[in-house]
Amino acid sequence: MSNKFSRRDFLKLAGVGAATTAILTGCGPASRFVKREPYMQMPEYTYNGLSTYYATTCRECAAGCGLVVRTSQGRALKVEGNANNPLNLGKTCARGQATLQGLYNPNRVRGPIKHTRGERLYTADANPFQDEFADATPNMDWDAATQAVADALKNHKPEEIAFLMGMAPDHLFDLVTDLAAATGINAPVRFGALSMFESRATLSQAAENLFGHGGLPLFDVGGAEVVFSFGANFLETWLSPVSYTRGFAGLREAKTKQRGTFIQFESRMSSTAGKADEWMPIRPGTEAMVALAIGKLVSDARGITVPHAFSDVDPVVVASRSGIALATLQHLAGIFANSTAALAIPGGAALGQSNGLAVAEAVLALNALAENFGRHGGVFFSALAPNQTEYQRPASAREMQEFAQKMADGKFKVLFVHGVNPVFELPASLDFKNALKGVEQVISFATFPDETAFESDYVFPDHHSLESWGYQRVVTGPAQSVLSGAQPVVSPFYDTRATADVLIAAAQLAGGEFATALPFTDEVEFLRSKIAPLMEEKQSFFSAPDLNTFTAYFQQYGGWWKTSDGRRVPNTSNALGREMSPAEAKFAGEGEFFFVPFVSPTMAEAGANKPWLQELPDPTTTVMWNTWVEINPVTAEELGLLDDDIVKITSEAGVLEVPVYRYPAIRPDTIAIPFGQGHTAYSRYAEGRGKNPADLLGQHFNEAGDLAFAGMKVKIEKTGKQQPLSRLESIMGVYGVGLGEEK
Amino acid sequence: MAIELKISEVKMSAEQSGKWGMVIDQDICTGCQACVAACAMENNISFVGEVDSGYGRSMHWIRIERFWEGEYPEVKMTANQPMLCQQCGHATCEPVCPAFATVHSQAEQLNLQVYNRCVGTRYCANNCPYQVRAFNWRDYKRPEPLSNQLNPDVTVRRVGVMEKCTFCIQRIHKAQDVAKSEGREVVDGEFTTACAQACPANAITFGRVDDPESLVSQLMKQSHGVKHLEELGTLPNVTYFKGG
Repeated sequence: MSNKFSRRDFLKLAGVGAATTAILTGCGPASRFVKREPYMQMPEYTYNGLSTYYATTCRECAAGCGLVVRTSQGRALKVEGNANNPLNLGKTCARGQATLQGLYNPNRVRGPIKHTRGERLYTADANPFQDEFADATPNMDWDAATQAVADALKNHKPEEIAFLMGMAPDHLFDLVTDLAAATGINAPVRFGALSMFESRATLSQAAENLFGHGGLPLFDVGGAEVVFSFGANFLETWLSPVSYTRGFAGLREAKTKQRGTFIQFESRMSSTAGKADEWMPIRPGTEAMVALAIGKLVSDARGITVPHAFSDVDPVVVASRSGIALATLQHLAGIFANSTAALAIPGGAALGQSNGLAVAEAVLALNALAENFGRHGGVFFSALAPNQTEYQRPASAREMQEFAQKMADGKFKVLFVHGVNPVFELPASLDFKNALKGVEQVISFATFPDETAFESDYVFPDHHSLESWGYQRVVTGPAQSVLSGAQPVVSPFYDTRATADVLIAAAQLAGGEFATALPFTDEVEFLRSKIAPLMEEKQSFFSAPDLNTFTAYFQQYGGWWKTSDGRRVPNTSNALGREMSPAEAKFAGEGEFFFVPFVSPTMAEAGANKPWLQELPDPTTTVMWNTWVEINPVTAEELGLLDDDIVKITSEAGVLEVPVYRYPAIRPDTIAIPFGQGHTAYSRYAEGRGKNPADLLGQHFNEAGDLAFAGMKVKIEKTGKQQPLSRLESIMGVYGVGLGEEK
Repeated sequence: MAIELKISEVKMSAEQSGKWGMVIDQDICTGCQACVAACAMENNISFVGEVDSGYGRSMHWIRIERFWEGEYPEVKMTANQPMLCQQCGHATCEPVCPAFATVHSQAEQLNLQVYNRCVGTRYCANNCPYQVRAFNWRDYKRPEPLSNQLNPDVTVRRVGVMEKCTFCIQRIHKAQDVAKSEGREVVDGEFTTACAQACPANAITFGRVDDPESLVSQLMKQSHGVKHLEELGTLPNVTYFKGG
C-alpha cells in the first residue's frame, strides 16, 4: 500500500476530520488514565453545552475500527469514525453507528447475579416501546463475585478450567493468555459466528499449503484493475468491511487508471454481488473447478504452458457442471488474462463446503498466475499487529465441536465465557446448550442477557465497550501495524465491572501462581505494562518521552500504529506446482435445494438487540425486523408460493418455518436465509424475532476444520400459513399494501 | 413551449441562489446502510417497530433504493440509490402547506420543516415526488435509558408532525457559529452531514455549491451528474452519478 498511500495522501484524508483531531488533543489531563470520576463531579475540561470527544475502538465486530465518540455532560451522543486510525480513516459501518443502542439498551445486565440455569434474566415483553420492565435484580456484591471467581480458579485443577472468548484479539485475551501460560489452565479459545461464516481457518490453511506459512491474506482491492471474487462478501461483513469498502471505492473511481471490473461468483446474489459488473450464478460446489478452468484458459490465452495446478481440469466439463457457458468462461479468462492487475478473492459460502480448502487453494493459485503477490492491487499477508509474532486465528467449528465434547464429557469443571454467545452462534446440532450441563460451574461475563448467560450459574457483567479500557489488535485491513486503543467514553451506567479487573482481583485472592501471574493493581496497570514496549518502536505514529505521556497520546489518538508498510509478501515459488483437485463439493441431506445461510449485512451476529439495526432494511430485500427465505420466483411459482407464505424447511439436522421472499437473483435450485435473528433471549428487541438458520446446519466440516455451512441440501414444504414481512420496498411509489392488510 | 421557458427561468435563479448541495456517487455506493443508521443516530429519529414499518411508517430520512432489471439469470440490481430530501430550489411540498410549516429558508436555501407549525395535514408528503417525508403516526417511545442518546441540538418530534432530512442543519449552524466567532467564512470540508461522514465508500460529498472551488461544486460540474425528476422543475440540490 506504500505506493498507493503516501503520507501526503494520508494527511489529506486525515484533514477531512481536522476539526475532530483538534478536539482530540484537548482530551484532558494525562491523569485521566487512572482516575475515573463520576460525571456528577464534572471534570474541569467539561463545559455545559459543549461536547467532549473521546477516541476509542468499535467492538461491534472484530475488525477493530477506531471511533471518536461525541459526549455531552457525561452522555455519549454520537459515534463517528476516527480519522486518524489507518484502518477506517474516519468511516464507520451501520453497526458501528448503532453502538449507542447497545450502551443504552434497556435490558442490560445491571450487576453481578447468582443465577439458576434456564431462568430468565429479564421479563419477556413483546412490545419494544414498553417503558416498564423487570430485569433480574443483582443479588450479589462485587466482593462476593470476585471471591466466587477466585474460588473457581483455586479449587480446581488447572486443566479443568477453560475460557471461551470472542473473536477479537484484545487485551483481555492477552491477560487470560498470560494467566494460562503461568498457571497451566487451558489457553483461552476465541470464537465467533462471523469467523465461522468467513471460514477463517480455511483461508489461513490454504495460505499455509501454498506459501509455506500461515497468516491472514490481505487483498488490495483498491489497487486492482480486475477483481474476481468467489463468494467473498467483502462489502458486508467479511473480515474488515469498512476497509474493504474503501478498497472497492478505489477500484471504481480510479483516478489514474480505468474504472475497475468486478465479477462475483456465487449462487445467490449478495449485496456485494449486486455491485459487481457481472454476477455468475454458478452451481454450488463447483467453485474449485471454475477457478481452475479459468486458470487453464488464462494460461491458454496468454500462450504459456499450463501450470501443473490447472492441468487436471477440462473447461468443457466445467461449463456443463457449473452452469456457465464455455464462451462465458473464455470471456472471463480473457478479462483476467489481459489485465496487468488482476486479483482473485476466496471467501464466504464458497469456502464453507466440503471442498472449501480446495476452493481457497484454487482461487489463491489464480493470483499466482496473475503474479500479483506483494504488488499494488495484489495479495499480501496482513501486517501483524504490535505485540504479535504470528497470526492467531479464532477457533474453527471443528475445534469448537471438540471443545463442546470436552464439556459434555465433564473434562472442564469451570467455564468462563466472555464476548461470545455460543448457545446462539453455534449450530444447534452441536448442542452447546446440552454440553454446558457437563460443566459444574459456568460463569458468564455477558454485558447483555444472552442465551449463554441464561444457561450460566453466575453472570458477572462486563462494562459495555464504550465504558471500557482496553486495546485490540487489528488483524487485517490497513497496510500498517495497528493497535486500536479503547478508553471509557462514559462512566459505567450500571453496577458492572471490567472483567480484567475481576480476574486480576480474583487472581490476587486465589494467591499462589495466580497472584504472581497477574501482579497488577488493576486493568489500567496491566494495559500500561503491555503498551510500554511500544515506546521503543521505530517509525511510530507518535512518540513520547515518558510512559505517562505516551499512554495519554495512546488514548487521545485512539491507539498506536506504525508509519511504515507492515504487509508481508508470501513466498509463491511452489504455488502453481501443486496438484489441485477439481472435484465437486459433497452435500449432506436429501432435499432438492442447495441451502445457503449468509450473515445479515446490517445486523451480523450480535446486532439484533439494537432496535435501529432491526429497522434498517436489508440491502438486497429491504426486509426489516424479521427473517425470510429467498426463493427464485420461478421455483416459487412451481411450488405455489407467494411472498409471505410460510414454508417448512427440513434439513438432516433440523426444521425451520420461515416466510418466503421471492428473490429474483438466486439460482432456482438454491434457497438462502440470513443469519442474525432467531434469538430466544438477548433483550426485548431480539427475542422471539425471526428464525436462526444455524438450526438447520449439520456437523460437516471441510479439510481445514471449518463448518461446511453451505454444504447442505434441504426440502421445502408449503405450510399454508402466512407471516407478512415488513419491507421498505412496498412503500416506494405510493402507499402499497402494508402489514396485516387484506390482500 | 411556454412551460419549457418557465423551467429555464427558474433554473437560472437557482444557480444564483443555491447554497448547500450534495453529490452522491451511485457507482461506489454499496447499499450498506451506514448513512441510514448515522442519520437516525444524529437526528433523533424514532424507530417504529415491525408492524408500523410494515405499513410504510418507518421514519428513515434517507433510504437506499435498489430496483431489479431483467430476469434470472440475466437479472441485474440497479445501482444503489440513496434517496433523501433533495432540498429543492423550487419545492413542490412548500406551496401546499396550509400552515406554512414547510417553507424555504432564504438564508440557507434549504427546505425547512417547522415542527411547531405543522398540523399534520400530510399534503406535503403527498406532493413530494421523491417520497422522502416521514410522518409521526404515533408518539414512538424510547424506553429508558435509550433517551440518553438524544442529540440535544435536534428537536424531538411528537405525534402528528411531518419530518424530513434537514441537511443536518444543526451542523451547518454550529460550523457557521464557530466560523463567525473566528471572523471567517465556513471552510469547505470543515464539517459534513452525518450520512457523508459515515459513508465507508465516501460516496456522499456535501458542501457549498455557491463556492466554485468547493469539492461539491467541482463534482457537480462533471458531465455524468444527473438530478432526479429535474423535468418537474423542482431544482433539486442533490446530484447523482449513475452507476456502471
